[in-house]
Order: sequence, then C-alpha cells, then structure tokens
Amino acid sequence: MMLRAIGDRSTWRVELAVAVFLIAFPWVFPIIGGYANLATRILILGLFGIGMDLIFGYTGMLSFGQAAFYGTGGFVTAYLLSTGMLHNTLGALAAGTIAAACCGMIIGYLCLRQSGVYFAMLTLAFGEVFYFLENSPLAKWTGGENGLPGLPKPVIPLGFTTLHVQSNLALYYFVAILFFVGYWVARRIVRSPMGAVLRAILENPARAAAVGHNVPKYKLAVFTIAAAYAGIAGGLLGIFQGYMPPDAFSIDQSGEIIIMTIIGGAGTLIGPLVGAGLWSYLREALQNLHGVGAFWKLILGLLFIVLVTLFRRGITGGITDSIGLFRVRRRTAAAHVEEAPAVSGEVQP
Amino acid sequence: MNWHLIAAQLLNGLALGSILALVALGLTITFGLLGLVNFAHGVFFMVGAYAGFVTFQYTHSFGLAVLMGALVVLVVGIVVERVVIRLFYRRPPEDQILVTFGLAIVIVEIVRAIFGGKTQLFPMPSWGMGATNLGFLVYPNYRLQVIVIAAITLAAIYLVLYKTRLGLIVRAGIDDSLIVNILGIDVTKTLLAVFVLGAMVAGFSGVIDAPIVAVDPDMGASVLIESFVVVVIGGLGSFSGSILGGIIAGEIISITTIWAPDYAQVMLYLAMALVLILRPQGLFGTEGRL
Repeated sequence: MMLRAIGDRSTWRVELAVAVFLIAFPWVFPIIGGYANLATRILILGLFGIGMDLIFGYTGMLSFGQAAFYGTGGFVTAYLLSTGMLHNTLGALAAGTIAAACCGMIIGYLCLRQSGVYFAMLTLAFGEVFYFLENSPLAKWTGGENGLPGLPKPVIPLGFTTLHVQSNLALYYFVAILFFVGYWVARRIVRSPMGAVLRAILENPARAAAVGHNVPKYKLAVFTIAAAYAGIAGGLLGIFQGYMPPDAFSIDQSGEIIIMTIIGGAGTLIGPLVGAGLWSYLREALQNLHGVGAFWKLILGLLFIVLVTLFRRGITGGITDSIGLFRVRRRTAAAHVEEAPAVSGEVQP
Repeated sequence: MNWHLIAAQLLNGLALGSILALVALGLTITFGLLGLVNFAHGVFFMVGAYAGFVTFQYTHSFGLAVLMGALVVLVVGIVVERVVIRLFYRRPPEDQILVTFGLAIVIVEIVRAIFGGKTQLFPMPSWGMGATNLGFLVYPNYRLQVIVIAAITLAAIYLVLYKTRLGLIVRAGIDDSLIVNILGIDVTKTLLAVFVLGAMVAGFSGVIDAPIVAVDPDMGASVLIESFVVVVIGGLGSFSGSILGGIIAGEIISITTIWAPDYAQVMLYLAMALVLILRPQGLFGTEGRL
C-alpha cells in the first residue's frame, strides 16, 4: 500500500492508500495478534518519526536529541490537561506542539553552528539537558521521576457539539486523523520547492549554498518543523496513556526513533511508521516467546546493524527501490529514488 | 562559607575530570586518525568495568582487574573493528555514528543478558580505603589515587603519541591521512591499532572509575555523553583539549553540586552552549578541521 510513497505522478493516490491503510489497520492488525492500543502507539511513533525523517532522511541531519521535543510537547500538553487549565484536547496539543517547536528553534540554533558528527554529539548532549531539567529543577511541574498522571480522555469541542473520545478504537481514529494530517503536511513539504532545497542540502550543502539558498535558514526551519512533529506525538502519547512518562525525555527514546526511521526506511515519510510497527510488534511478539523475551532488544539491535551495513534505505526504501527497477520512468525529475543512496561519497566537479 | 567543602569538591572535580579526560582522549584519538566518532565508546568503558569487576571478585587483585579490563576491551575492540567498523571507514559520518550506536545497543544487551540489569557495587581495593589528612582537609585515599593514576596514564599516552613511531603515524594521519597512505604505511594495521588503543583507554578508565560509581549495563551512556561535552569544550581531535575540557567539566559538575545539586548537569551543558556560541571549534580546536 505504501509502495508508491515516493511515486512520481499520482499525488493523491498515495494519500488515499495511506488513508485506506489507516482506516483498515485496527481491523487487520488483530489477525497477526495486534490490538487497537498497539496500533495507536505505532501511529504515535510514526508521527514522531515523520519529523525525524524530514531532518534525517530528507536533509541529512542526524539528531540524537529528538526526545527533548517529544518530552516537551508531551509535558506541556499533559500539564495543561491534568491541571484542568485547558479542557480542549486539541488546544492543549497545539500548545504542546508550539512549545516543542520553540525549543526546537533554540536548540537548533545552537546545534546548527556545527554539522556532521558535531551536530549528532550536540543534539545528544542538549537532549540530556532536557532530561535533567525535567527530572529535578522542573519537578514541581513535571512530577520529576514520577511523570504526570491523570490525563483525561480527549474532549473536542466542535462548536455545535462536543466529542468525547472514550473507547480504544475511537482513540485510535483520533490519533489516525492527526497522523494523516501530519503525513499530508509533510508530503506537501517534501514535494514543495522547500523540499527540493532540503534534498539539495542532503546531497551537497556547499552546492546548495553556492546556488544561493540560505542553507542554515532551511536547516533551522526543518529542524523546528521536526520538533513540532515530536511535540504533537509526545502530547498524543500522554493523552493516549492517560499518563506522561519521564522516559519520553530519555536518550533511549531519541535512539529508538532513529532506529525505527532507519529500519523502516529514511527518506520515505512512511518508513518511520513501518519501522515503528516492526519495532513495537516484534517487541511484543518476542517478549511473549519463551526464552527469547529478554533478548528482544538485542535481536532488533542486530537487525539494525545489518540494515545500516547492507540496506541503507531500510525496508520501505528497499521495496520502492526494487519496484523502481521494473518501472519505466517518464520524467528524469522523478528519478531521485535511485540517486538518493549514492549521495554521500559523491565527488564534486 | 565552608572552605573545606569547597576544597573537597575541587578535588572531587579533579578526580571526575581526570576520568572524563581519559575517556574523552580515547574518543579524540579515534576521531583524530580514523575520522570516526565512536558512539560505542561508552560501552567499552562499561565492558572494561565489568571485566574488572569479575576479575576482582575472583582474584581480589585490583591490578589484575585493571589488566583484565583493558585486555577484554582489547579483544572486544579487535572483534568489533574487524567485523563491522572496518567496513565503515569510507562511509559517511552519519553511517558510522549509526553503526557504532547499534553496536552499543547490542553490546549493552549482551552484558545485560549475562550479568543482569542490576547495579553492582565494585569493592574498593584495600589500599584505596581510608583517608589522608592533607593538612587542610581529610580526603578519601582512592580519589587521590585516581587523580595520580589518570595523570600517569595521560603522560604515558602522551609519550606514545609524541615519542613513538606509532604516535608519529597517528599524528601524521590526523594532519593528512592521504599522504600517510602514499608513504606506504600499512594503514589497515594502524587503523586497527588506533581503534583498539582508544577502546582500551576507555576500558581502563572504566575499571578505575568503577569503585567510585558501581557498575551497571547502562553506565557507559552517561560517560559517553559527558565525554562528548568534554571534546566539544576542548576541541575534538586535540590532546590538550581533552585534558583541559575534562577538568573543566569535572569542576563545573562538582562546584555546582555545592550550591545547586539539581543543576550540576544542566550547568555543564550551559557551559558547552557558551563555548559553542563563543568558540564553536572548542578551546583547542582549529577552525575548519571538520
């Protein structure tokens, strides 16, 4: 269904396929032992991962600090809802998203003073700052090590009526709608002129700058957007669990979203969802297997190393690449799928 | 104001800083020659600590524990380099980071599977117990010894890097690895040696630090991040930068702990942000190295 995520012509078909998948997912997933809550969790991580994919898959910036924004969005949303300051769930989500985007702008400004390995190290270090801040100095508001419990089920005033999202399935569709909007926006971004500049930065930052694009500004913009995605996903996590865990800020969280994005396929937007699905599903399935349960992370870690070593574009990328081999391309402009893997070692004329 | 407390914290900062300097130096050596930022570096620290822990349990000899810590990491380092890392020298830095990050997860999980996830106390060696009266302050022996051990090790690494043939190649490689290749030096062996040297320094530091912090499978992660901060402050790829950065980082943590323990870590990262704004290449880094 997502095979055409990097298609060339049919814009709306991909969106339609994703929409159909999102509607059908909770009904199909139980066949292999999944359930609505697991599906919701996967969508939340998939939404988080879209941001990761925008900065890493499309722009080439490897951030190890995305948990900072996931946690920020989550805790701002959770604080507003659990204290009763806001009853409108969407309002609280918006506030959390904006807060995360603001943090993203500040951290991005600092980290983007460097690129490459330095950027990765800096984002990791700044991610840790947020973890420590949540843990003690801000514990009065965040609950410190205990996190924030007591988030109500989503309440959405629509003017003429007020929706109360109660059942697990309803919650799934609430998250699915937001995921779809997030996916649609991200796809618009990568297919816009801005998306073209981002890919130019991925392929060759110096050349992108030389033809007159303000590279730092674009990088900061996409970093801020990614932080917003992390923020809304964090907010949804708290609402979904009824509890905002401090783990959202941990380095493990930053690492896991990278792993999911890589396993699923970076530079595809839908890849992180595939990766999140595989990660979450395998985790559940392996944990229930006798004798293997303790090793689930080891197994997924090995899978990750193999994918990084051999299949740099992950599962979705691998599928789209092999399909691409059989397809006759009508326009060369659409051929970026094949160019993408070879970008890094390229020598400039 | 309690001057004894401040003096004690200054010394604590020096002890912490010298460990951080050692770990960061390993990171910097690997980066300097191989151009590889090793996200599994903290894991070598942890593996060293565990190897030392097991050896100490059986032999009650701290000397043997340190030796085994370094040797086990030597073996792990060789295996990791030969099987995975060597495939990545020519890959983009992002791939190198990702694969070492994956390796870190796998190694942590293996250690967790063998030893369990519990934090285990590493007993203090008998000669490290007790305290010394320094005249103005009574201070635990072991921390003083850590400072001395770290200083000796740093001096030894300095000698290796600046007075031996290997060191010459390493430094030449940092300046211009292409020319070193052209001069006909077996780069593969040198790469392996440098990678393993960096790893062993981390493993060694792990054993030295273990009696102070206790061992658990996740102990490498925080050390890794703090040593990142050290190299950002000192300048990645700089020998003196690692040492000065380590001591600065150790002192910031210890001194802040006196007044606001909650902010000790936060302060460290603020200092890093300040260095980044004022001097992005680090105190001893040279512009345009990256």
